[in-house]
Amino acid sequence: MIELQGLTKRYGETRVVDDISLTVEQGEFCVLIGPSGCGKSTTLKMINRLIAHSEGKILLGGEDITTLPPERLRRRIGYAIQSIGLFPHWRVADNIATVPRLLKWPASRIAERVDELLALFQLDDEGLHDKYPHQLSGGQAQRVGVARALAADPDVLLMDEPFGAVDPLTRDTLQAELARVHRQTGKTIVFVTHDMDEALRLASRVALLNAGQLVQYDRPAELLVAPANDFVRDFIGRADLGLKLLSRRRVEAYCRPAQRTRNNAIASAPITWQVDADDRPMALLGGRLGESDIARTVVNTEWTATPEMSMKEALSRMVWFRVTALPVLDGEGRLLGEVTMSGVMGHRS
Amino acid sequence: MPTSDAASARLVANRVLVTLLCAGLLAAWLLPFATMSPNRLASGQTVGLSEALSAWQVIALLALSAVLAVTALRRPLPRELAHSVVLLASLGLLLITLYSLGDYAQRTLVEKSPSARVSQGSAFWVMVFCCALAAIDAFQRASSGWLLRLGYMLIAGGSVAMLFASGHFDDLSIMREYANIRDNFADQFITHLVLVGSALGPALLIGVPLGLLAHRRVRLQGTLFSVLNFFQTIPSIALFALLVAPLSALGNAFPLLGEWGVKGIGAAPAIIALVMYALLPVVRNTYAGLKGVPPATVEAARGMGMTARQVLWRVEIPLALPVMLSGLRIVTVQAIGLTVVAALIGAGGLGAFIFQGLGQYAIDLVLLGAIPTIVLAVIADFTLQMLVVLSKPAGTRR
Ligand SMILES: Nc1ncnc2c1ncn2[C@@H]1O[C@H](COP(=O)(O)OP(=O)(O)O)[C@@H](O)[C@H]1O
Ligand SMILES: [Mg+2]
Repeated sequence: MIELQGLTKRYGETRVVDDISLTVEQGEFCVLIGPSGCGKSTTLKMINRLIAHSEGKILLGGEDITTLPPERLRRRIGYAIQSIGLFPHWRVADNIATVPRLLKWPASRIAERVDELLALFQLDDEGLHDKYPHQLSGGQAQRVGVARALAADPDVLLMDEPFGAVDPLTRDTLQAELARVHRQTGKTIVFVTHDMDEALRLASRVALLNAGQLVQYDRPAELLVAPANDFVRDFIGRADLGLKLLSRRRVEAYCRPAQRTRNNAIASAPITWQVDADDRPMALLGGRLGESDIARTVVNTEWTATPEMSMKEALSRMVWFRVTALPVLDGEGRLLGEVTMSGVMGHRS
Repeated sequence: MPTSDAASARLVANRVLVTLLCAGLLAAWLLPFATMSPNRLASGQTVGLSEALSAWQVIALLALSAVLAVTALRRPLPRELAHSVVLLASLGLLLITLYSLGDYAQRTLVEKSPSARVSQGSAFWVMVFCCALAAIDAFQRASSGWLLRLGYMLIAGGSVAMLFASGHFDDLSIMREYANIRDNFADQFITHLVLVGSALGPALLIGVPLGLLAHRRVRLQGTLFSVLNFFQTIPSIALFALLVAPLSALGNAFPLLGEWGVKGIGAAPAIIALVMYALLPVVRNTYAGLKGVPPATVEAARGMGMTARQVLWRVEIPLALPVMLSGLRIVTVQAIGLTVVAALIGAGGLGAFIFQGLGQYAIDLVLLGAIPTIVLAVIADFTLQMLVVLSKPAGTRR
């Protein structure tokens, strides 16, 4: 879908992007990562020709991007940046409608599309349609920025550290939202960040850059288990490699059938869940860390897991609540299965 | 706003108003309100406020002053309401002061002699000045409901105009002088406006693109701004005079140009000088306005696929407009004032009366040139200030 061939950018003698070749397939979520100043933004901006490249070629859907007038090209590519750059004199709806208006869509279609995007980013129930950018919270503004980038339904979305300036909690929500939007829309996304956790969470492929050169281009898991060299290993952070790996895995892959009982009689299995008539777990029999007798621990909402939760978080909850197992619940709170401390070690995929 | 919560705790809440009020009252008490001379040539005798005003006028003046004093001192009213009361009271005082003078002139002519001349005294000027300042101050302090306040100002302005139209002031010495030069006055007034307009047009046409150029080409900035700064440092009379010689030479060398009005004296050098003075503020404010547009906004606009022209017209100009209009405001007021000096090189305008009056020791004539100039400048300033507020995009008006 997007092909960079020997892409190079020179400022005078310095090559800030040096002979990068990589292919981003259709529907891929490609994250460009690397230390500050390694040429991530420059690479990204060459794709929509905000910066002209010095050497090499960029193909978009097989077509050389220099064959199109730059404005036409940019209207086909979504673009979202860290500082957002919402137009302060336009309402939220007008901001989102920017590219459709440039493309001269009929008004009714634009209005429809704006509503659709507000709904997609869960901005519709907050009456934001007619607000001005300065009335938005950081998270809302960033959502509007991304919605604006998606407005004309481009196949490709370029994002330059879009969540770099929001607080960690909001960032977490926005990342989850972007992952959902990516699943729902199947866009090809090129995403710049310098945050490894963000990259591992979102990417289907990671391109690690250093001093303008491509060091490794791989799936996140590959990057973790088979780093190309010491630079990659150091950049990922050796110390918590295992946790990073777990952060990529979801609870459902580790979930196994649970032993149930309806009363609190001592059970035969080491870990047994006492459930109520609706199959909701009430207590854990056994499985308490550091206690030799079989204890009964009442289940509370905090030490449960859902299938979508990352294994890193599930493990963290087990450690925090000093239990060796968590019940995995479905949307209604019914017991689907369990994840256990020993199960964390067992999985391979 | 300078009046914070701490200010409302003090006994005096509005020091500006108190100062103006004291000045006005002191002047009314100590200085002559009017001068009266039996005929045009005889020297006048001064008339105090108590002698000039009828009883109800004095009572009304005192009552409105008391209202102002109460509003200024204790601030018994909510802030926004207080501003409205001050505005209304000071406009009322202004109207009564003006009305009383006209009224006194009428009575004098009937009671004393038809050839008597009544002129404004120093107390009158101080009172008018203080009332106008208090009104403008109240208008600007207000943060809400400015449309209503603008209505008050317009009603007050309309009332003054109606007093003039109804002939209420016709017996004043200055208005008799006006009656003598009525036709010429209209001509010079229009000339004044035309001179200002024909300087502002080219100044904008040249200045705005230059400001844009300064913003786009960083290297040109230094040269451009030092040249424009140099123009500003030349004293206006000197610049007018400097232009006389080259322009008359030009007009003589090319008779066709001469026929078009390019001459050493008259409108041509005046307009050129006015344009030169106007350029710096226009260029500087255009540049500053464009520079104030957040770079991220421009990058986003380009990234969305706007052409350079679309970025300029849809994003940069709308966001820069308030600053650009502030530049226009400075330039307009400045041009209205400088055009007075242009009368010295035969360009005409209201300055003609001022210099003519100065030559003849005819104070009324001087005032006939000066007062309309001041009123014009104040109106232009006020209107453009409104435009600046209105031009702030709704999204950035806080
Ligand atoms: N206009 C320019 N002239 C010279 N050097 C530049 C210019 N723009 C960026 N650079 C350099 O290019 C390098 C890469 O920049 P950038 O792509 O923005 O890095 P990042 O990976 O942090 O996004 C940096 O070292 C920067 O200093
Ligand atoms: Mg960057």
